[in-house]
Amino acid sequence: MARARTSDSLAWVGIALVLVVTLAPFLWLVMMAFKPAEDIAAWPPRLFFTPTLEHFATLLRSDFMRSFGNSLVTSTVATVAAMVLGVPAAYVLARMERRAARRLGFLILLSRMVPPIAFAVPFFLAYRYTGLLDTLAGLALVYLTFSLSLVVWMMRPFFAAVPPALEEAASIDGAGPWYAFLRVVLPLALPGVAATAILCFLYAWNDFFFALVLTRTEARTAPVAVVGFLNYEGWEWGKIAAGGTLVMAPVLIFSIAVRRFLVHGLTAGAVKG
Amino acid sequence: MADTLAMASPAAGRATARRRAPDAAQRRFRRLALWPTLAVLAAIVGLPVLYLLLTSLTPFTLTQPGTESDFSQPLRNYMLLGEDGRFWNSLWVQAQLSLFGVTGQVVLGTTIALLLHRRGKVAEQLRGILLVPMVLPPVVVAIIWKVLYTPDISPVQWIGAAFGWEMPAPITDPDLALASIIVADTWQWVPFTMLMVLAALQTIPDEYMEAARIDGAAPVAILRHVTLPFIAPVLVVVALFRLVDSIKAFPLIYILTEGGPGSVSEVTNYYAFLQAFNFSYLGYSAAVTTVLVLATVLVSWCIHRYGPAEADHG
Repeated sequence: MARARTSDSLAWVGIALVLVVTLAPFLWLVMMAFKPAEDIAAWPPRLFFTPTLEHFATLLRSDFMRSFGNSLVTSTVATVAAMVLGVPAAYVLARMERRAARRLGFLILLSRMVPPIAFAVPFFLAYRYTGLLDTLAGLALVYLTFSLSLVVWMMRPFFAAVPPALEEAASIDGAGPWYAFLRVVLPLALPGVAATAILCFLYAWNDFFFALVLTRTEARTAPVAVVGFLNYEGWEWGKIAAGGTLVMAPVLIFSIAVRRFLVHGLTAGAVKG
Repeated sequence: MADTLAMASPAAGRATARRRAPDAAQRRFRRLALWPTLAVLAAIVGLPVLYLLLTSLTPFTLTQPGTESDFSQPLRNYMLLGEDGRFWNSLWVQAQLSLFGVTGQVVLGTTIALLLHRRGKVAEQLRGILLVPMVLPPVVVAIIWKVLYTPDISPVQWIGAAFGWEMPAPITDPDLALASIIVADTWQWVPFTMLMVLAALQTIPDEYMEAARIDGAAPVAILRHVTLPFIAPVLVVVALFRLVDSIKAFPLIYILTEGGPGSVSEVTNYYAFLQAFNFSYLGYSAAVTTVLVLATVLVSWCIHRYGPAEADHG
């Protein structure tokens, strides 16, 4: 018994260690965002300081807010488009014969797996000819390459969980398939719709690669802007940390909102939903 | 579905007959709901991949007009790949990044999952908190580690100095650059393995554990003969998923080391990016990328074929 207790307390020590290693680096950056500039460079690094909003104020006055807006617009447009296209398709796939659905499922899995660089060159060339380079519309369109398959993949189990008997009952009552889908099935899958939309938004929001390759100044997104601080404006760590904090803020807020469904979306195909 | 039912019983047959007309509407609905999505996917995923393949057969460079449709030596790029030392180096770097990254994530993630696989409110809350790195934007993760790896402002350096250790600047040291990327990548993705393994652990029937314990099996023996065999399939899937994602590694490398020093941390994905967007050799970059896509298709097929039945819904 005593041995069991020792190994249990050892386990808690391990857990505590994991917690520190996981959270400390992230909290350090957030702390830096609120540190006065002279304290950031201080040696040894200061744990206690008078918090300041000066770095955020600098950002508010700069171009960064426009990039932040671009991020919001492209992520939202991509999400809405992917939901409008993907949700009905996911419903049909959930009701389809297993074999055909399996084959389509593989194609959708593939489109999640292909590295973004495979899309970068074709889209870059196509956008050069069509003038979509450095536009919000072009960026939102390229986000569909991953968000559409994400929506289909995430929504399917939600629809599969709705008993088909409900639609059958609706159709016996004379309702058409659209009515059955929109008025009977969709309301039941609403939590799934909300979670999927948020996750879809986050994936687009987190994108760095496409925005780096397909935008310059007009449609530049927040992640690219923050990285720009690293490259071109010397080492203004306070500004960089504040920018990073702003970029992660929506992600953290939304993640807390959907943490129950998050598990399903992040494991993307690897476990049963 | 309706047809099978119809054959099963005459009563059901009558029911289907009554529903003939709505059935046509049903089919129209399915077409309308499914086809636009498949068409869009074909246009934005299928066409670009096809275009990529075609471009890989040309010596396309942006500075020389006409090269985009020059198919006179279609396999030239692939031939050049064979002699390109930097390409082979990038594959080697990729192999190291994938091997050490994925192994580290699977081992650490499994260990943490085993530690946290316990009842109680605290453990439950902790599981949620530990997911934070995984949801952060990759750019933010890269910045976090840039701070930790930059000597002047890094708290890690300071802790090292306090113990009297001479700490190198990892991202500018050729021996440590790749390792520092692997550490950052592992930090972000250990939670993923943890999450998946925890889910798998919850499916182990209590009776198995009970039986082993009653038989007097030591905890290590239980782990080896009951727990690990049970979660093994999940570990395979997790490893394959992380393997595919490690081929996509980009923001960490772009922000932390830019592939350097020299090309010690230049993975194939990054090399393809440089060829296309720094050197403008789009045709050659497309050939490099095609190799990557083939590797991804192979791994995806393995997931589809050997993964649990649920994994195929991708």
